[in-house]
Amino acid sequence: MIRKYTIDQDTILSVRNLTIEFHNQEGKITAVNNISFDLKRGQTLGIVGESGSGKSVTSMSLLQLIQSPPGKITSGEIIFNSRKFGIVDILQLSPKQMRAIRGGEISMIFQDPMSSLNPVYTCGNQVMETILHHENISRKEARKRTIELFEKVKINEPERIFSSYPHKISGGQKQRVMIAMALSCKPSILLADEPTTALDVTVQATILELLQEFRDDKDTSIIFITHDLGVVAEIAEEIMVMFRGDVVESGSVWDIFSKPTHPYTNGLLACRPRLDIKLETLPVITDFLHINSDGSIPTVVNARFKSVGEAIMKNYQSELDLREQFEELEKKEPILKVKNLCTFFPEKTDWLGRPVEFKKAVNDISFEVYPGETLGLVGESGCGKTTLGRSLLRLIEPTSGEIVFENKNLLELNSKQLGAIRKDMQIVFQDPYSSLNPRKGIGDAIIEPMKVHKVYDTEKEMNERAIELLEMVNLSGAHFNRYPHEFSGGQRQRICIARTLALQPKFLICDESVSALDVSVQAQVLNLLNNLKNKLNLTLIFISHDLAVVKFIADRILVMNKGRKEELNFAEDIYKDPQSEYTKKLINAIPRGDLDDIRKAIIKRKMIKKAKQEERKLSA
Amino acid sequence: MLKFVAKRFGYGFLVILGVVHVVFFLFHALPGDPVALLAGQRADPETRANIRKELGLDQPLNQQLVHYLNDLSPISIHKDNSYVKDKYNFVSFFSIGGNYILALKTPYLRRSFQSNKRVDILILENLEGTIWLAIAAMLFATFFGILFGLIAALRQNSFLDHFFVTSSVMGISAPSFVSAILISMLFGYYLSDYTGLNLTGSLWVNDPLYGRQLHLKNIILPAITLGIRPLAIITQLTRSSMLEILQQDYIRTAKAKGLNRFVIIGKHALKNALNPVITAVSGWLASLMAGAFFIEYIFNWKGLGLKTLKAVELLDFPVVMGSTLVVAGIFVVINIFVDILYAAIDPRVRLG
Repeated sequence: MIRKYTIDQDTILSVRNLTIEFHNQEGKITAVNNISFDLKRGQTLGIVGESGSGKSVTSMSLLQLIQSPPGKITSGEIIFNSRKFGIVDILQLSPKQMRAIRGGEISMIFQDPMSSLNPVYTCGNQVMETILHHENISRKEARKRTIELFEKVKINEPERIFSSYPHKISGGQKQRVMIAMALSCKPSILLADEPTTALDVTVQATILELLQEFRDDKDTSIIFITHDLGVVAEIAEEIMVMFRGDVVESGSVWDIFSKPTHPYTNGLLACRPRLDIKLETLPVITDFLHINSDGSIPTVVNARFKSVGEAIMKNYQSELDLREQFEELEKKEPILKVKNLCTFFPEKTDWLGRPVEFKKAVNDISFEVYPGETLGLVGESGCGKTTLGRSLLRLIEPTSGEIVFENKNLLELNSKQLGAIRKDMQIVFQDPYSSLNPRKGIGDAIIEPMKVHKVYDTEKEMNERAIELLEMVNLSGAHFNRYPHEFSGGQRQRICIARTLALQPKFLICDESVSALDVSVQAQVLNLLNNLKNKLNLTLIFISHDLAVVKFIADRILVMNKGRKEELNFAEDIYKDPQSEYTKKLINAIPRGDLDDIRKAIIKRKMIKKAKQEERKLSA
Repeated sequence: MLKFVAKRFGYGFLVILGVVHVVFFLFHALPGDPVALLAGQRADPETRANIRKELGLDQPLNQQLVHYLNDLSPISIHKDNSYVKDKYNFVSFFSIGGNYILALKTPYLRRSFQSNKRVDILILENLEGTIWLAIAAMLFATFFGILFGLIAALRQNSFLDHFFVTSSVMGISAPSFVSAILISMLFGYYLSDYTGLNLTGSLWVNDPLYGRQLHLKNIILPAITLGIRPLAIITQLTRSSMLEILQQDYIRTAKAKGLNRFVIIGKHALKNALNPVITAVSGWLASLMAGAFFIEYIFNWKGLGLKTLKAVELLDFPVVMGSTLVVAGIFVVINIFVDILYAAIDPRVRLG
C-alpha cells in the first residue's frame, strides 16, 4: 500500500499529530503528545524544554531510534522530502530504506561527545565509516574527504586527529569530529541534541558559529534541541517550547523572546541567572504557573509573576546595596586564608618512579574568604578549580602553601585533628546521582556523618535532626526511609546538601553543585543555598564553569585559568570591568539571549540570504 | 612499552622468589620424613643418615634454602671441579678465590628423591600433556562461550537466553569430578560405538608395534570436561558485558550513521565487550596450566597435576618445588602477555 503524501516544495519535513508512548511496569507514559510542526529548507528550529519534556524523544523518532519496547509511536506521520525516495512517511519505511536515510539524509549530533564516539576506533576511522557506508567510493577518497571535513570543522592538525583515538583529544575536538561525521554525507536535516551542553562556554560559542556557517552555506535545516533558551536565541529562527510532551508555545525567535505568552516560557526565560542584573532570589517556574499533581496546567492562573519583567522588577538588587553589604563583610577577620597554594600531579616519572614532570593543577594561588561571604570560583574545565576546592579540604594533598582556617594551618594537622576540622568544612559534589549510595536510605545517609563524629548520643536525637534537615531543604520528613532512586536530580542534590549540613558546618564548598540540573531546578537549588547561607550563617565557596550562575550567588569571584589566578574581584566589577583578557573572553562567550543580539543575528542572516540569491542570479 | 615489559618481568621475578620461600617452608613444616619413605621402614639408622647426607637434608634449614636458591639462580657460585661442572653444566665466569667460581647456567631443579631422574626432564615429560589439554579446553570454552554469550545477549529474554543462562549456572556449579565421570561414562563407554572415543587415554600412546603414537581423539573428552566451567563463565561474562555495551551512546551513534545490525554488533560492540572476557580467559588458562588433577586422574591423562600430587604424597621435595615454580612462571608470563593484549584491543589502556 503506497500512499501519496503532499508537502510544500519549501518544506523538508512535516511532523503531523505525532504521539509517542513509553510502557513500563507502572503503566504508560505519554512522552510526546500529539505534536505537529513543519521544518523549511535552510531553517533552524529550536526545540526547548526541560528533561522529560519529550524533546529528545521527538528528535530520535525522526530517525526511528527509539528503543521499542518500551517506546512506541502510537499515531502520527513524519513526512520527509527525501532525495532518494521522494516524499515519504518515515514511519512507514523499511529498515533498509531507513538505514539509507540515517546518517545520509538526516544525521544527528548527540549531547555527550565523550561517550558518543567509540573508544576503540580512531576518529578518522569512525567518520570514514559513514562515508563508505553511504557512498560508493574508495577508502582513499573517503580518507581524503574526511581530512577535508576535519579542516572544514576547524580541527587543527586534521591528520593527527584522524589517527587519534577519542580519549586522546579534548571535548571540543570530539564534538567537532561528531559534527564532521554528521555532515559527511551532506544531510538535508541535522538533528543537534544538546550539542554544546557538555562543553565549556568558549568552546560552545565556536561550535554554534560553526553550525551557523554550515547552515547558511549548504542550506541544511537544523533542529536544535536544548534546555537553555539562551543558547538557541542566536542560532534559531523558529522556537518550539515543549513541556511534558506538549508543545506549549511556538513562534519566531523574536516573538518568543519579546512577548512570550505561555507562563512556562516566561518561567524558563526568567529562571536563568542573568549577567547584567543581580536578583535577590531567582524566579522559578512555579512562580509563573501552577502545576496540578497529575501534570496538567490549570487554565486559571494565580501566579506570583505574570511576566519576566515583573519578576525582575520585584527582585532587583542595586549595585550600591551589594557594595555596602560586601564592605560590611570585608571588615571582619577572614575565616579562611590561602597563601601560595600549589597542588601538582606527577606527569612523568623516571625509571625509579620519581616524578620529573608535573601537571600544575593549582599553581601559586592566594586568597582570603570573609565569614558570611560567598566566593565564586570560575574557570573552564581543566583549569584546576575542582582540584583547588578539594585541596582546601585536603581531600587531595596540596604540594605546598598554607591553608589557614580559623587560625589553624590545615597542612600541619595530623589526620585526627583534620577529621575534627572537617566537621566545620563540608563539600557538596557535582553529581547528585553518584554521590549518594543507592543501597542506603536517605535518612541513614544524613545520619551517617553524625555517627562518625558522634555529635548526638541517641538514635532518636539523630532521627529528629535528620527530619529537621530534610524539612530545611524543602523535603518532607516522610521521605526518611526512601532510597535515592525514588528522587529526581534536584531532590537528590537537596539531600546531599542536607547531609553536609548535618554537622552544622561553618564553611561549605559547592563543587559544580548545580551543573547537572535543569535550569528551573538549578534556580530552586541556588535559592535554597542562598537561604540556608543566610539562615545558618554559612560561608561558601561556589565552584562552577558557568559565570552567570556564579555571578548570581557570589559576592566576589575568583577567575582561574590553567591552574593560575587570573583575577579576584567584587562580582559586579568582574562583569562590568574585567581586567584580564581571559575573563573578557569568558564573558563574551556566554549566550545572553537578549533582544539586541537576536535582532543582529536576524539581520545578519537576511543579508547572507540576499547575497546568496544575488550570487545565484549572477551565475544563472 | 619496553620499560613496561621490563617492569612486569621484574615483578614476576619477585613473585617467583616469594613462591620459592613459601613452598620451601611449607614443605618443611609438613610432618613426615622423606628419607623414611625412600629407605623403607626397616632401613638401619646408618643408611638413613647416609641418605640424609646425600640429599643435603642434614643441614640447617636456612643453609638448605641458600643452596637451593644457588642451584636455581642462573648466575651462581660453585666449586670448580669436573664433578660439579658435570652436574650443573655451567659456563664459568671467573674465579672468586679458593676453588670457587662464579658461573652461568640454566636453572638446576635437582633430581627427584624417588626416581633420581632430573626434575626438569620429568616436568617437561608431563607438562606437554597438560599444556595441550589446557589449550584445547580454553579454545573450546572461548569459542563457544563468546558465541553463546552473544546469542543470549542479542536475544535477551528469549527461550535461548534463559536456556544459556540456566545451563551456565549448572556448568559453574557442577564439580569437575562429577562431570568428568559422567562424560567419560556416557561418551567413552555407553556411546563409544557411535563416538569412537575411549574411556581413558593420553595424548601419546606407546604402541608395542609402532612405538610412540599421537592419539588426538583422546583429548576431546577431557578437554570438554575441563572447558565446561570456563565456558559457562565466558558465556555469562560475554552476555552481561554485551548487554551493557549495547546501551552505550556510541552504539546509538553507530545506528544513527545508518549502519546495519551486523556491523554495529560485530565491529562496534564486540571489540568493546571482549575486555572482561580476556581477563577471564587468561586467568583460566593460567590456572588450567597448573594441571587439573581430577580430570587428569579420571581420564588417566598424563599431565603435571597428577605428577605433582603424587610427589606431594611421597614428600618428593625437588619435584614439588620444580613443578610449582614452572606453574608460577607460566602464570607470570601469561599475565604479562594479557596486559600487552589489553593495550592492543583497548587503546585507552596506557602502558607505563
